[in-house]
Amino acid sequence: MKKLFSVITVFFLTVSLVAAQETPYQKVMKKEIEKLVTTDSVSSLQASANAFARIAELNAKEWQPLYYQGLAYTFIGLDKSLSLDLKDAALAKAEEMIKKADALSPNNSEIVTVQGFITMAKVSADPGSRGQSLSGQVMATFGKALAIDNKNPRALILMGQMEYGMSKFFGNGTEKACGLAKESLVIFNFQNEDARKAALQPTWGKSLAENMVKGCK
Amino acid sequence: MKTVFTSLFFFLALSTFAQTLISGKVTDQKGAVIPGANIYIKGTYDGTSSDLNGNFQFTTDEQGKQIIVVQSVGFKSKEDYIDCAGKPLVTNISLNESINLLTAVTITAGAMEASDEKKAVVLKPLDILTTSGAMGDITAAFLTLPGTSTVGNDGRLFVRGGDASETSIYIDGLQVGNAFGSTASNVPTRTRFSPNLFKGSFFSTGGYSAEFGQALSSALALNSLDMPLRNQGDLSVMTLGGGFTQALVGKKNALTASANYFNLAPYQAVVKQKFDWEKSPSSWDSEVSLKQKWGKAGFIKGYFHTEGGGMTIWQKEPGVEGRGQRFELNNRYSYGNISFRQAGKNNWFFNGGAAFSHNRDAITLDQIPVRQITQLIHSKIVATKDFIPGFALKNGLEWYVKSYSEALLNDGKKREVTDHQINHFVEASYYFSNRLIAVGGLRSGYSTLAKQYWLTPRFSLAYKLKQGQFSFAAGKFKQLPDEKLRVLQTNLSNKEATHYILNYFLVNNNRTFRAESFYKVYNNLVTYTGTAREPQNIGQNGSGYARGIDFFYRDKKTVKGTDFWITYSFVDSKRRFANYESRIQPSFAPKHNGSVVAKHFIGKLKSQLGTSWSWNSGYTYTNPNSSGAMQNKTSIYSDLSVSWSWLPKPNVIIHAACSNVLGRENVFGYRYASQPGPAGNYESLPIGQGAKRFAFIGLFVTLSKDRNANQLNNL
Repeated sequence: MKKLFSVITVFFLTVSLVAAQETPYQKVMKKEIEKLVTTDSVSSLQASANAFARIAELNAKEWQPLYYQGLAYTFIGLDKSLSLDLKDAALAKAEEMIKKADALSPNNSEIVTVQGFITMAKVSADPGSRGQSLSGQVMATFGKALAIDNKNPRALILMGQMEYGMSKFFGNGTEKACGLAKESLVIFNFQNEDARKAALQPTWGKSLAENMVKGCK
Repeated sequence: MKTVFTSLFFFLALSTFAQTLISGKVTDQKGAVIPGANIYIKGTYDGTSSDLNGNFQFTTDEQGKQIIVVQSVGFKSKEDYIDCAGKPLVTNISLNESINLLTAVTITAGAMEASDEKKAVVLKPLDILTTSGAMGDITAAFLTLPGTSTVGNDGRLFVRGGDASETSIYIDGLQVGNAFGSTASNVPTRTRFSPNLFKGSFFSTGGYSAEFGQALSSALALNSLDMPLRNQGDLSVMTLGGGFTQALVGKKNALTASANYFNLAPYQAVVKQKFDWEKSPSSWDSEVSLKQKWGKAGFIKGYFHTEGGGMTIWQKEPGVEGRGQRFELNNRYSYGNISFRQAGKNNWFFNGGAAFSHNRDAITLDQIPVRQITQLIHSKIVATKDFIPGFALKNGLEWYVKSYSEALLNDGKKREVTDHQINHFVEASYYFSNRLIAVGGLRSGYSTLAKQYWLTPRFSLAYKLKQGQFSFAAGKFKQLPDEKLRVLQTNLSNKEATHYILNYFLVNNNRTFRAESFYKVYNNLVTYTGTAREPQNIGQNGSGYARGIDFFYRDKKTVKGTDFWITYSFVDSKRRFANYESRIQPSFAPKHNGSVVAKHFIGKLKSQLGTSWSWNSGYTYTNPNSSGAMQNKTSIYSDLSVSWSWLPKPNVIIHAACSNVLGRENVFGYRYASQPGPAGNYESLPIGQGAKRFAFIGLFVTLSKDRNANQLNNL
């Protein structure tokens, strides 16, 4: 009896000790990040943005909840089924969140990458009107992200995609764009996904690199 | 043993008991459901999103009095108290819409904006440069918009029956004096500033804000670029000259410097001209601009431009043999502008600055030297406060100094005039909802020279329908007569105009449609006897009206890869002014005006082809051989231009353009002899174009670390 009691106590103690290594914040973030990168419908992206909003309110010093909220709104802004006004409203919200994240963590390559991603999504929403005025800004923002961390695979693949679109428009070769895509895929394959996920660092974007490299061959 | 498990079970049972199930529905004020709303208990992770029907459901472990928060994009957040007592509870919430400045209705009556960010625009800044026939002149591109008339022998902006002086031009909110280059009569001019400097513009054809004044017809507000994108050098080599601009960009500031030289002599030696040039027009200019970020949200800009130029032309006199009158012009012009904007605490915004322009024309008229100097200083400070979301109040104070002097050097005669004007304006704008906005303003002024106070109210309203929107604007406008008249009679007071404008605007899926009707009443216009060069008996007994309707349609979708717009403006205007003894249709107000502009991009050729066609029903003129005034009209004006921009490499652009390709001999009026000839009638000479056509070729190269950089956003 005494032995059983002590076994149970030890069991509960160990369980609670293991649980204590992961805070409620980390737990809920991991769950929501996983949901965000595996969904594509507007309603689940909105639910994801809402979840990150709730997390951000309780963890006002962390940049990641604002970052992922901005990312969720960016994905909404890229959804082809929405009208231009709804896309712009989502991208405006994304920009607002990323600005707040940037205030908490300045010179952060991931945050600057999403800033470029948002401008890229604005061009994508109305390319005829916005292509000429915003393309320069998109490339300059990705350049800034790479200046902070020249191995950021997300900045590389998004820059590659923008470069690809521009070279098709001007009738130039796609070598530079494909080079960026290949470099990005190599870095994605080498990154330690589990370690990054545990530290709540972004891991999304690998499928973008894979698809583009396929198209490049 | 048993007690351990019982206590364990009891403990687990207790935790299930404390959960409360919260459900409900989220709707807007009209009862429509809101999907994707965020509902949660404040201070916890417990929450969820509403489904496609606005329904939500979630559980919470919290107990007692809690705050439930409901949020959704486009709506004001709502908080409410709930009691978590373990029993399921239902709470239905309705949210109020918040004013979304991105998509809320804006005043479109009498307003045309060129902007990349705003939606209710007819032009993008890029359009100003890519409109063929505009030849890179900012205001020439506006001549293809509704509400304007092309007066080919002048070149300035004529809006809705008003003359060119009735339009004021501003850079960053500060007035520009002599914005158009000095020229001989009947030789067209252009604006002095390069379109590259500006990121957007606001062109009003009437009913404009209380922030601007002293312009009876229209205000053109140009906004300069904030920060250049990158360090780059831009080289331009053209058939009429060339120049170089260098931009240096730092983290918080930027410096741009440029120098240009133009000379039409080589071109005019090759292409036959109708005008008799002794010295072709030539000019040099140089400018420096500094941008500095001020704190988190503020900005300071400094801009200085100086230029010099001249021309010598012989103009025949009707009925007189010989080469005619010799007109020599030497011009020196400088413009400087410092402006700032800054955000304060509690939703206060400040902006303002000071600008000066100095223009010296040294004219020699048939050996008689004349000097004319015009100076303008404008300083302004504006404070805006956003009260509850949707209500903003703007307050501004301005001080103008305007001076003019003219001197006959040989006789040692000189006369000059200086006027100080103080203005105050207040403007309140209120969003009743995302669909309805009202703006009311009051502008007051005092002139030391005229010794006159004035108060002018302005009002505008816009209402968004399901398809498009209606907008209305009305106001009183005053303008003191030109300094060239006030130097002869200093007690001249304000001319007046009252505007009423009604507008319908629709933008849908890359198609834009705009229809606008207007009615303007003029009073106190300047009248005199004699000629414009030597007016006598100057008074203000003139009056008039201008009324009409204009249409604009722009389509970027119907024809693949093509962007085109069509404009038609009808202006019925009569006024008594100058030396006319009764109301007549002025020569600068053709009744029917129209333009068609098209641009087509051919990816394979890496080129953009453009064309524009402008026409009007003709200009009135007085034939002294018959009785009456302005009884005649020239034949229709028609000008078809084409242009081609080619990008052989990402950083190289070759641009070629030709105006009036059909070679039509447009006539803008007739000049008559002041005395009858030997046959007893007054001889005449037509006022025509400088040459049959004007052709232009330019090469633009951008030098920068980024090999993709080019002047595409400058062309």
